[in-house]
Amino acid sequence: MSEARKPQLVSDPHNLWKGSTGLRQAKRAKAELFQTLGVRVVPDDQKVEMAIKYLDKYRKEVRSFVMAMESCVKCGLCAENCHTYLGTGDPNNIPANRADLIRKVYKRYFTVQGRLFGSLVGAEDLTLDMLEKWYSYFYQCSECRRCGHVCPFGIDTCEVTFVGRQILFNLGIAPQLHTATGKAILETGNHMGLTKPGIEDTLEFLTEEIEEQYGWPIEFPVDKPDSDILYVPSSADFMLNPDTLKGAARFFQYVGANWTISSKIAEAGNFGYLSDQNRVQKELVNRAISEAVKLGCKKIVWGECGHGWRAAKMYIPTKSDYPDVDRIPITHIHDEVVEYIKAGALKLDKGRNPFSVTLHDPCNYVRACGLCDNMRIIMNAVVEDFREMHPCREQNFCCGGGSGILFDDPDMYQFRIEASLKKAEQIRATGAQVLCAPCSICKAQFYPMVKEHKLGVQVKGLIDLVGRALVFPDDQFEDDMEL
Amino acid sequence: MPTLDVGGGKVIELDEDGFMVDPNEWTPECAVALAKTEGVEELTDTHWKIINYLRDYYQKNGIAPMIRKLCKDTGIKLKEVYELFPSGPAKGACKLAGLPKPTGCV
Repeated sequence: MSEARKPQLVSDPHNLWKGSTGLRQAKRAKAELFQTLGVRVVPDDQKVEMAIKYLDKYRKEVRSFVMAMESCVKCGLCAENCHTYLGTGDPNNIPANRADLIRKVYKRYFTVQGRLFGSLVGAEDLTLDMLEKWYSYFYQCSECRRCGHVCPFGIDTCEVTFVGRQILFNLGIAPQLHTATGKAILETGNHMGLTKPGIEDTLEFLTEEIEEQYGWPIEFPVDKPDSDILYVPSSADFMLNPDTLKGAARFFQYVGANWTISSKIAEAGNFGYLSDQNRVQKELVNRAISEAVKLGCKKIVWGECGHGWRAAKMYIPTKSDYPDVDRIPITHIHDEVVEYIKAGALKLDKGRNPFSVTLHDPCNYVRACGLCDNMRIIMNAVVEDFREMHPCREQNFCCGGGSGILFDDPDMYQFRIEASLKKAEQIRATGAQVLCAPCSICKAQFYPMVKEHKLGVQVKGLIDLVGRALVFPDDQFEDDMEL
Repeated sequence: MPTLDVGGGKVIELDEDGFMVDPNEWTPECAVALAKTEGVEELTDTHWKIINYLRDYYQKNGIAPMIRKLCKDTGIKLKEVYELFPSGPAKGACKLAGLPKPTGCV
């Protein structure tokens, strides 16, 4: 064990680390659920053959995957840069080894030396047991891409996990959580299965909350025709993160935006991107543009969601079937806020956020979307005591729930605790009272994890803090935050 | 598919997570039987207040309420909800009220 790992074990107050190496698997979806997504589960005796066919297909389509298959020299730099490995101590969670689970198979079937010399050159036949390993380890990887960031060859292990998960999905192997969420996406256009009456009722409730907190109400437009801006919030905000929705409404109101939320795409995330990058991912991709067109919107503003922002910013332009995709800019609400801050157009009172705040950088913002400085411009404008955690920015560690591995079956819940060990250590070191985590997966991971690690911090989004700090002439601000 | 005997000759189907497959099948007896699967031995008036609130909300809106709204409308603090339903409002209370398991980032 290296020196770098020892402090985490020491810092762990409940001795959670058990160096587990067993095959840990999330509860998987049954055939009936897969059927609702138009997928027939492949029988066991055909799984291996089909998996090789799919592997052949994706190696021809995904160049970054082939690069990862061909280039690794096992230098090991990725090991200590992976929070999953640091937290679990399982050697198969070292990114190079995780990728090797598929690389060995790739070598066996798609390289000359592998076909001729097999195990002598590290090639391995694909078996059902190996598919079980894929399922276990490709869903312990949070696709945070920290390993890719440090890899001297630029191998992006996330691309390997993507392909591994897609092959498994095609065979009818995926977590219940991702598959059930996929079903909700197809049926309602959001992860939680929110209905229009549910959306409207929640937003009416938040209008009342704003009135209680600031002395005057703000209405949330839903499906309003002839809007300029389509705001796409995370569906989790409707259940768990009320202050994120309130903050967005306060901002849009402040800048006088003609905005709306659509009940057909009340979802900034995209679990399809994390399990099925074909049918399920495209459902939300297409809804974003078709709804913007239907409501007359000139611009789409994305809400707080890490993987969802990557999926929107990087993949809507290439995956959308609608020509309007090239005519409708898609921006992130943080970038919108920064434009107004830079123009000096917002009156912000830091005194309304008088506590110490640290920022958890969502992996997909900082390592995939260049959303890094802007979060700090906002933070410095809206809170009195901003404390960076270390490492931060592109070097930041994942919350441990990335790519939706928010499993609650007991063994996987324990895994989440282990996978957030490194993060807990970082947060604790800041001594901050509030943990700003501007992403729905991060928030859903942190709400229980800050308790498990006894961190004693409040979890908030960044727009939550903006909404509080914005000063309207009519405001009679009453703080509802209990620290 | 797993099933649960709720008494009176009624057997309900559960999904893999122990949630009711068909929320329309729900009767108060279901909550009593499901409580045992959640380690809740006895349902107090406060339990019922939350369960009935969730049922009513779900029937009107087809989805579970925002957790803050649940707390505000019932006057029960979140901490207390967790004491009453150890798996929490979304996964514990919703299960007893016969709502589907929440999906997505929860």
